[in-house]
Amino acid sequence: MTQHLLPLFVAIPLAAAFLNALLGKKIKRLSDLLSAVATFALAAASIYAVLLFKETGVIVYKVGGWAPPIGIAMVMDGLTCLMLVTVNVIAFLVSVYSIDYMEKYTEKWNFYCLFLLMLAGMNGVIISGDMFNLYVFLEIAAISSYALVAFGTEHEELEASFKYAVMGTLASSFILLGIVFLYSFTSTLNMADMSMELAKRGPSQIVLLVSVLFLMGFGLKSALVPFHAWLPDAHPSAPAPISAMLSGVLIKSLGVYAMIRVFFSVLGATPQVLSILMTIGTISIIVGACLALGQWDFKRLLAYSSINQIGYVILGIALGTPLGILGGLFHLLNHSVFKSLLFLNSGAVEYATGTRDLQKMGGLKEKMPVTANTSLVASMSIAGIPPFNGFWSKMIIIVACVQAGHFAHASWAVLASILTLAYFMKVQRYAFFGELKEGLSRVKEVPLFMKLSMIALAVLCVAGGLLLIPGLSGGLLNAASDAVLNGKDYGVIVFGAIK
Amino acid sequence: MKMLLQPILISMLAGAFILLIPRRFRRVIEGFSLITALYLFAASIKIFARSPIHADFLYVDGLSRFIVLGIGFFGALVTLYSLRFMASYKNVSTYYTYIIWTIGLSILAAVSNNIIVLLTAWGFLGFTLYMLINVAGPAAASAGKKTFIIVGGSDSLMIMGFAIVWLITGELNLSNIKIAIDSSLSFWAFLLIAIGAFAKAGAMPFHTWIPDTAKEAPIPVTAFLPASLDKLLGIYLLARLVLNVFILNSFSYALLMAIGAITIIAAVMMALVQHDFKKLLGYHAVSQVGYMVLGIGTGNPIGIAGGLFHMVNNTIYKSCLFLTGGNVQHKTKTSDLDSLGGLAKIMPITFFSALIAALSISGVPPFNGFFSKWMVYQAVIEKGKEGGVLWIFCIVAAVFGSGLTLASFIKLIHAMFLGKAKDATRNEVSWPMWIPPVILAFLCIVFGIFAYIVPLKYLIIPALSENLVFIGTWPSMKAALFLLVGLGVGLLIYLAGNFKGVRETASYIGGEEVTKDMRLSGTEFYNTIKELSPLKGIYAKAERKVFDIYEQGKRFAFFFIRIFQYLHNGVLPTYLGWCLLGMLIFLFVLVR
Repeated sequence: MTQHLLPLFVAIPLAAAFLNALLGKKIKRLSDLLSAVATFALAAASIYAVLLFKETGVIVYKVGGWAPPIGIAMVMDGLTCLMLVTVNVIAFLVSVYSIDYMEKYTEKWNFYCLFLLMLAGMNGVIISGDMFNLYVFLEIAAISSYALVAFGTEHEELEASFKYAVMGTLASSFILLGIVFLYSFTSTLNMADMSMELAKRGPSQIVLLVSVLFLMGFGLKSALVPFHAWLPDAHPSAPAPISAMLSGVLIKSLGVYAMIRVFFSVLGATPQVLSILMTIGTISIIVGACLALGQWDFKRLLAYSSINQIGYVILGIALGTPLGILGGLFHLLNHSVFKSLLFLNSGAVEYATGTRDLQKMGGLKEKMPVTANTSLVASMSIAGIPPFNGFWSKMIIIVACVQAGHFAHASWAVLASILTLAYFMKVQRYAFFGELKEGLSRVKEVPLFMKLSMIALAVLCVAGGLLLIPGLSGGLLNAASDAVLNGKDYGVIVFGAIK
Repeated sequence: MKMLLQPILISMLAGAFILLIPRRFRRVIEGFSLITALYLFAASIKIFARSPIHADFLYVDGLSRFIVLGIGFFGALVTLYSLRFMASYKNVSTYYTYIIWTIGLSILAAVSNNIIVLLTAWGFLGFTLYMLINVAGPAAASAGKKTFIIVGGSDSLMIMGFAIVWLITGELNLSNIKIAIDSSLSFWAFLLIAIGAFAKAGAMPFHTWIPDTAKEAPIPVTAFLPASLDKLLGIYLLARLVLNVFILNSFSYALLMAIGAITIIAAVMMALVQHDFKKLLGYHAVSQVGYMVLGIGTGNPIGIAGGLFHMVNNTIYKSCLFLTGGNVQHKTKTSDLDSLGGLAKIMPITFFSALIAALSISGVPPFNGFFSKWMVYQAVIEKGKEGGVLWIFCIVAAVFGSGLTLASFIKLIHAMFLGKAKDATRNEVSWPMWIPPVILAFLCIVFGIFAYIVPLKYLIIPALSENLVFIGTWPSMKAALFLLVGLGVGLLIYLAGNFKGVRETASYIGGEEVTKDMRLSGTEFYNTIKELSPLKGIYAKAERKVFDIYEQGKRFAFFFIRIFQYLHNGVLPTYLGWCLLGMLIFLFVLVR
């Protein structure tokens, strides 16, 4: 019975999106409620999934009762659990935030419809055990995100959306091309089967070519340098809740998760691929940090910071050591919490003051205490100040780098973390501390639902470090890093779990 | 174990509880904070008395036990002082919360044996410092930002340093680690951790946050953190590294000595020309670190003892100076030396406390500052027996720096307390504000005169495993007696002489009586120095912040930022070009 939980992660948001499109316009407030209830159910289901995973281990759902490799499979292992919790908890809080924030836009139900479609796509990518379905869900999520970036339909939004769509489509095509090559090579689309088939056939040039295609495709989705250029336009242009989703979870589920799954579980993470990933991870860390430091636009700064932080995630995972993978995945989880919070903060500031320019803000600490304090917590977390969650993952990544003997990578990571601290000090200094600027004296704190979700995320930032204690998190992180470390045993594990 | 964890836990909870008390119950907040601070002081005395304590990840030995005592002591004193001083500030509840947390976490940092616990406590202290600076309001925002970037940034370097230590030894408990610096790896580990200690204590080149903070932050915060607690912790960590964790090679020792000597002389030169007394004291807070680093850098027992003793003394007289400065600022609402003067008659208690502390910091016998400096000098001379020329530079810097310290304090005392008053309608501050400086001034005398039988015996010598050998003994009690007798005789001569014949008159210049606009302020004493030819250029550069590692780092970073910004031109085909280029490189790397 338990395996029937899996398709719900796609079915619930799809159904909610459909109902929204159907009824949202007619019944006022229905779309708010529908979206909040659906995402709450998903968040609860994802936490239940973690507890379930602890008892049963890997779960495989056969779509339509057809057993893989012939039928389509949905697979839940440790890594899936981690990603599901991350995506759905953030989605719930973002949905609560949107209730008040999206009031200033027209056609709110369309927004919710796209938002839920995007969520369905992300959950689908995470839960899919099949290469082609991974691609389909990836496209669902990506296309809804193109539309969401353009949601404001102003000049800037449309331009950003266009760039994002062109580059995103390029990446999707290359991913599809890679899948086509793999299909022609192995004659299967099921990931577990493909993994075993590839292991049987040994190394080949096709796999190398596919690796390049996937590195580019998923690298673009996760905004690694040099494929990052769409992100600083797209993420700030979207409405704040969507920026939080894009930077917080979309680039991770479509980019990082898919990359880990494809390289570690299916293709096999060769030292060459890992060293490429480490290099572009480190470059992303530096470039992202530098560009963020030079920014005055609050949301653009945060967008560059996402490039910087994804670099840490990739660097940690690409080390390939247990400690590195643990640190990388933990940083992925933490980053989604504090970066969503920061985007929500930036949204709150924009909502209250009408500007994104840090030079026009100042002294908002007195006027907007909840926003100021939660953003302080988030800034400290992302800058890696103890005891907030970012400190632990950053420390683990640096220690893992040193442990693996990559001193150069470690030094860059350390230097960039100083820059990270510097640009968040800049945010705090100019937005919240400092003199109250003229014209801001009548600024008020944001409405209740926005406050609630910011506070909830801030609590997660403070308590996040506790996840390192396996007893408290149900072994969430360890299970996820084990799933990555299992690597090519993925096939055997999945077929072992089919009942 | 329980004895150590309990105060730390209580400080966390009490601090959080203060945030819950509504702001209008100001007295409740203050009273509760004072009680907590006194409790923490009592707990630190208990820890001091019961040491050594070995617990799982905590560890109190001779070195950390007196650091704990100092933390508790200064915590209580500063909280008492804040009752009145902070009365004019709006957000006192956050202030007291962070003060209480700082006390608890500092104790944790001092007693932690586990690297991760140490890093956690250490890093969070940077955050509390940042928040405490920001209590001062919008004006302090820039200083807070700079401070936290330097202090918090150095924490990242420390993580890397400790990671290398862990790589070499596979050990997380400091008491089990002993690394010889014989490879570049272990040297880097030492250097990176030492940078953390330097940034906290304020040794060059990581000192630039201290003068800025001293100028902007509320005075109790400066007296508490940069002047006392950060010194205690920074120098504690350095001493811990040198004594227990690393076996230094001659190059590392020389490096420490050079950093110490440069810090002494450069910071005191900056202090000489300041017009704001808070900034002046801030530069002295840097300069004094030089003596500690120099003492520890000699590596011989007397040097380390001298460095630690100087650390204790410095925390005493420096917080005394900041607190007396706070009294002056509280009454006059200014910290500009040019507009102060003649306060000695109006605020006698403050004046005498400040005078004693100023004499101590300048190294005038029989006060405590002299004694510890004397120990550091001996250690440098002892080091000189090994040959080389570095020690000559160091001893010159140390002695000369001491002289310049005296010079700048003559200016400070004159400008604040002597000379002609601007307007003389104020009175002495209330008791919560003068008791702490008086206690500290009293300690300056006690630690100086009874150096052998009180501080050295109970605090310093237990921290070292070896016995102290003095080359030149300074019979502090006898000397004090002689000084007192000498002063007494002088007084007798004065009284016996015809002092009735002395004519008193108002001060005059060129036969003219001094009018208000001709008033001489102490700050003008040293304008000549600023004009001297080689120094002029250096001072000009210092004013442009050429020697500020923060500003230079910023310039360096922005050089790259401009390049990256230029590359991100927003043109879609360019971005697509990058993607293709990236793919080609990957293909080349993988297929080759």
